[in-house]
Amino acid sequence: MSFGFYKWRQCFLGWVVSVMLVSLMVTSVTANQQDLTTDALKILKSKCGNCHSADNQKAELDLSSVEAILQGGESGAIVAKNYEESLLWEMISNELMPPEEEPQLTAEERGLLKRWLEQSSFSATPPKAISQWDVLPILQLRCVICHGKTVAEAGLDLRSHASILKGGKSGPAIVAGRPAESLLLRRIHAGEMPPKRRIVEASIKVITETEVQLLEKWIAAGAPNDAAVIDAPGNGPDPLVTDEERNFWAFQTPKKSSLPEVKNRTWSQNPIDQLILEGIERAGLTPAPAASKAVLLRRVYFDLLGIPPTSAQLQEFLDDESPAAYERLIERVLASPYYGERWGGLWLDLAGYSDSEGIQESDPVRPSNYLYRDYVIRSFNSDKPYSRFIKEQLAGDDLADYTDPAHISSEVMDNLIATGFLRQSSDGTFSNITGFVPDRNRYIGSSIEVYTSAILGLTLKCAKCHSHKFDPIPQRDYYRLLAVFKGALDENAWMSPLQDRGVTALKPMRLLSVVETAERESIEAHNTRITQAVAELTRQRSELEVATITQLQEAEFKKLPQEIREDVRTALNAAKEKRTKVQVYLVEKFEKQIRFDVGRAEDVDAEFKKQRAQQTAAIEAKKKERRAITPIRALWDRGDPSPTYILTRGDYQTPGRRVGPGVPSVLTDGESAFVTKRPFENSPSTGRRLALAEWTTDKSHPLTARVMVNRIWKSHFQHGIVKTLDNFGVNGTKPTHPELLDWLAVEFMESGWSIKHIHRLILTSATYRQSSLITEQHELRDPENKWLSRMPMRRMDAEMLRDSLISLAGVRRDHQFGPADPVASRADGLVTSSPINNTWRRSVYVLHRRTQMPTLLTSFDRPRMSPNCVERTESTVAPQALHLMNNQQVKIWATQFADQIMSIHPDDPEAQVRLVYTQALSRQPGEDELRLTLETMHRMAEILKAESSESDVNRSVIRNVCHALLNSAAFIYVD
Amino acid sequence: MNLESKNKTRPHSRRQWLTSTAAGLQTAALTHLFSRDIYGLETPSPRRAFDLKPQPTHHEPKAKSIIHLFMNGGPSQMDLFDPKPELDKRHGQEYFSELASEVENPTAAGALMKCPYKFAQHGESGQWVSDALPHTAEIVDELALIKSMHTTNLTHELALFKIHGGQEMPGLPSIGSWVSYGLGTENQNLPAYVVLDDPLGLPVNQTQSWQSGFLPPMYQGTRFRSTGDPVLNLKREFEQPDQVTSLERELIAGLDKIHKDSRPGQLRLDARMASYELAARMQLEATDALDLSKETQATLDMYGIGNDTTDSYGRRCLYARRLVERGVRFVQLYINFQIWDNHTGITSGCKAACNKTDLPIAGLIRDLKQRGLLDSTLVVWGGEFGRLPIAQLPANKDTANAGRDHNKNAMITWMAGGGVKAGVSIGATDELGFAAVEDRISVADWHATIMHQLGLNYEHLYFERNGLKDRLTGVEEAHLISSILK
Repeated sequence: MSFGFYKWRQCFLGWVVSVMLVSLMVTSVTANQQDLTTDALKILKSKCGNCHSADNQKAELDLSSVEAILQGGESGAIVAKNYEESLLWEMISNELMPPEEEPQLTAEERGLLKRWLEQSSFSATPPKAISQWDVLPILQLRCVICHGKTVAEAGLDLRSHASILKGGKSGPAIVAGRPAESLLLRRIHAGEMPPKRRIVEASIKVITETEVQLLEKWIAAGAPNDAAVIDAPGNGPDPLVTDEERNFWAFQTPKKSSLPEVKNRTWSQNPIDQLILEGIERAGLTPAPAASKAVLLRRVYFDLLGIPPTSAQLQEFLDDESPAAYERLIERVLASPYYGERWGGLWLDLAGYSDSEGIQESDPVRPSNYLYRDYVIRSFNSDKPYSRFIKEQLAGDDLADYTDPAHISSEVMDNLIATGFLRQSSDGTFSNITGFVPDRNRYIGSSIEVYTSAILGLTLKCAKCHSHKFDPIPQRDYYRLLAVFKGALDENAWMSPLQDRGVTALKPMRLLSVVETAERESIEAHNTRITQAVAELTRQRSELEVATITQLQEAEFKKLPQEIREDVRTALNAAKEKRTKVQVYLVEKFEKQIRFDVGRAEDVDAEFKKQRAQQTAAIEAKKKERRAITPIRALWDRGDPSPTYILTRGDYQTPGRRVGPGVPSVLTDGESAFVTKRPFENSPSTGRRLALAEWTTDKSHPLTARVMVNRIWKSHFQHGIVKTLDNFGVNGTKPTHPELLDWLAVEFMESGWSIKHIHRLILTSATYRQSSLITEQHELRDPENKWLSRMPMRRMDAEMLRDSLISLAGVRRDHQFGPADPVASRADGLVTSSPINNTWRRSVYVLHRRTQMPTLLTSFDRPRMSPNCVERTESTVAPQALHLMNNQQVKIWATQFADQIMSIHPDDPEAQVRLVYTQALSRQPGEDELRLTLETMHRMAEILKAESSESDVNRSVIRNVCHALLNSAAFIYVD
Repeated sequence: MNLESKNKTRPHSRRQWLTSTAAGLQTAALTHLFSRDIYGLETPSPRRAFDLKPQPTHHEPKAKSIIHLFMNGGPSQMDLFDPKPELDKRHGQEYFSELASEVENPTAAGALMKCPYKFAQHGESGQWVSDALPHTAEIVDELALIKSMHTTNLTHELALFKIHGGQEMPGLPSIGSWVSYGLGTENQNLPAYVVLDDPLGLPVNQTQSWQSGFLPPMYQGTRFRSTGDPVLNLKREFEQPDQVTSLERELIAGLDKIHKDSRPGQLRLDARMASYELAARMQLEATDALDLSKETQATLDMYGIGNDTTDSYGRRCLYARRLVERGVRFVQLYINFQIWDNHTGITSGCKAACNKTDLPIAGLIRDLKQRGLLDSTLVVWGGEFGRLPIAQLPANKDTANAGRDHNKNAMITWMAGGGVKAGVSIGATDELGFAAVEDRISVADWHATIMHQLGLNYEHLYFERNGLKDRLTGVEEAHLISSILK
């Protein structure tokens, strides 16, 4: 469909009544027809008025008057000359409206509406008068890349009415009222602009015929300049969201309610238990017995650290018989540096962390992205208040001044690195051909989706094209949120995501070369030393050159007859233009013989050549010692964003009305303005994301705390209190324990947003300490474990599995942070993480490249990010068994595990088996397990001993036992 | 399984428009309803454990399996199946400025360029095929040509994401994953979705083309290799006596049984044990599926196996038949890199791609037919986009070595078997072959049609995430290509 048509419709749709002149054109108005209209409106009021009235305009549709009906809704016109083509009739005739749950139209009513639409034969309302708002988006799309904010070629900026009139070096771009004399149109008509052979270079498309006509029309009309009407919060009551909708539980601030009465008064350890026990008792159940210490220990280690406890840690805990032994364990574990590696990893799923851009075949790697990963791990380890953590990630660039290189603290660095949260989605705009406006919009949309799904627990992306199906989120609110991000993510002033690809004057680099002042000074001091050293080495080389050349030339002079020797020397030394005729002759004759340059000297003097080569190499090596600043993958607000328009049906070519920044109305009072302030003096920023961050972490916010405690709960108990972790909206699941959710949310905020505080509460609860055994009463009364009448049994996730394997093999290298460890692809497609000195780091440090995901991790459900992963799925399939059974590397790890066992117990099979169990499962084998294992070992030995020595047999047998244990269900499932 | 059925029939025309408004209209009503219960509607919890067991179809399927012959690079429609006399006539005329926005390399764009091959009508159906595809010409009576397909992006990577995953972005499940998720598979001893890629190397986008995206990884395509072990980790990668291995297996099974018996009611432990048994059976069956030693010489010849040019692709075509015979749901064939991406040398390059694939594909169709498998197997041929009617000139501007640049506005694909009419065609491009103009078929239409033949309704097959029902076709409206269906 042509752009012009959309433009026309968009004008037609404009909802701001004050600037619209609606005229009703009816073919023939009779008294009869007026009655018909009155009746039709009555029906529409009674059957549709609930949602489509002047006060409640769902999908921006008001059916209360003919004028309002003619304006249509967010998707366009709803009436047409031929009633059969009208949207209103299609919805009615196909029984799509009213919705199933609402009172339906009777056949009679439908008949009347049909007659009314048929006889009225509504025709199109003429579009409102043209203004600059109709043409500015066209110029943004086609011209502003070279004539705008980033670059203003020929001094021309086409972003505003004033700057268009001002024009550039060749004069004003337009002459109002005279299209033919307007330079802008002349250049377009001549086919010169945009330059067709260069459009891909600029990632734009050619201007279309209808767009040109619109420009012409605007100029012909005298280039009218309307005042901006911007739909922003604070302009009055919100007709699109009702107070009733605001009353939905998840949109209300959480409050602690009084704790319920329970029958069992001894079980509860803290309020969590009371709230859980109430449900258990209501279901007619009793809690499961407490799990054994060994089971608890393994559970706590995997839950908090993602690695198995060592046998020493097991022993320490078993030996501690004091009543506070368990609490002390929790404190020890929470203080472990491994904690951030496990819990930071969970957060990285939410952020959609990836070490590469994706989109293109080359899948370029993001060299400094690990800084964000490290920031996340450190934040979890230090129990950074969640509110601060969120603020840094949403608006770190607005939290403190980062513009003065002399005052960059580690905190400022963290602020900037944290904004990497919004830069994890696939970004193909490093290449022109995947860097057009739709590509940029996709990236912006993904970044916003990461925010809404990870932090808000709300689905917003569908509102990109139309109002939300279930939640009270009008399309307008999506674009208001888009406007919040626009200071940093402006599709009309784009930046290229990588340092070494696609950075041009048109698309500057979206990386910040900011570094801590102390670090910068140290780098600069280092580089000064290098520069000095290079100068010294260069001087030495020059000395050698001069000495050698002088020597060689003198030797040649000596070959000349004594009498002319000095004359030749004088002639050669004389300035060219001052030479006498004789001198010119001498130079011509002897210069070639006498004069040496470095090249000639090297040709004749091998020793010189060699020495000079060594010196050159030393200079080059020295130069390489220079240290550069690693630019941060940050997001920062550059100020002066282009206007934000609602895109009709999400199409970038059909901009609708302008909106200002704001957050979803249903989460506000619907009346207050979205207040922004300049974050710091000299800041270029709009301050919009700072306002967003402050709103998100305000204690009255209904979702932020609930969503996070629900995630923490899920990670400990398999399911969230709200099972749909990323959807607390109307269509999400309802909380199984609403009072508990709210209690935890308030407790979380009251504790200063301490994540570790919530862990502590959960882990010390009696609920968490239950056994995972399922009894008949559980099966009967709580089959899905909705009431947590027992602990759920869980499978290790991909990272836990791999990290356990390298831990048991004794090849885990505990070096934290820094650039990611490389991965390698085998010819058959198997992708593995590469060892360094035969050791591996934990999975969180392995390169997360989109096109090269380690097979072991993906087989066990490590997800691909699109754009993030809010909850992992769990699969149980044959390729997992094949990998653990047949893969060489797994076998080697099992072997290394076995060899450690052998070094402790060289020849006592029972002691060996007991130690394998202790290390891999943190428990002793049961009698039947021990018997079966020993029997199998004996049978294996019988087979092997035909070919091998006894010690080799023993070694092979225990290696197989270890390999079997790593393949067993007892290993991969945590009770 | 998230299979929902809707009783209401929806109007096909302008459905997208309708639903977008319907969405808004329903909001308030639903909210109103739910506000009576302040904790909202209790919906069944989304499923988080998955397997490959056969699933019920949405309707009677026409095909049980599908073989997707993916033609990397974008075959040229006007040089293979879509003759354009007007293009021949206007050969050499300037045309670039008419389609400047649709060219990937504007600086290399040349004039209109005629097809270097000769077209003739073939078979009883009289369909046009150029002499670059002599063998396909012989089986053209089995094919339903789709001449009016188009896509949305002219870049390889994004067009590949679109044709495989439904949208121009990475990280989404491929159609093979969707089909495996929707239907499971008949033969549990083989993967549901097998990829036969070229031993010479991976195609563009590499393994992303058969990934499972946000669907569980179990639904991703499994690569079968023609040399070495057919499946990753299928065979033991280390030496030890078989008896020891079986003892170890017994030990695992025994320990797992003890573990399971002391944990009654934990159903995942049963699934876990079953997966180990399955792994053992897969070792035998996957090896057998790729063993061509029992195929007759006549069969091998039919696929061009033994001939240098056609051997590699011929083998993969024959594997495809053997896998489909064994109940594999989705078989996808790739060629290394992108042989159809003929930016230069349309004469030599396009012909080379034809030579490599033409005979094996004709052989596959004939073989499936003679074995009675064609009726239950949908064979689909096509690339990620088409090519432009203007020339793309090499750096030295030598028109003799000109090629064609990418074109998202028209592409050629065909289907055969699996409930598709034989010897028909649909749609047409404009007189120069630049854009599909008659009966335009979108990628979503194409996906919906493939799923329909397999018994799946594209709207009803979805996966819930981020609070939304995600589908292969996203929010796009799709129409079945009914006129080519039986």
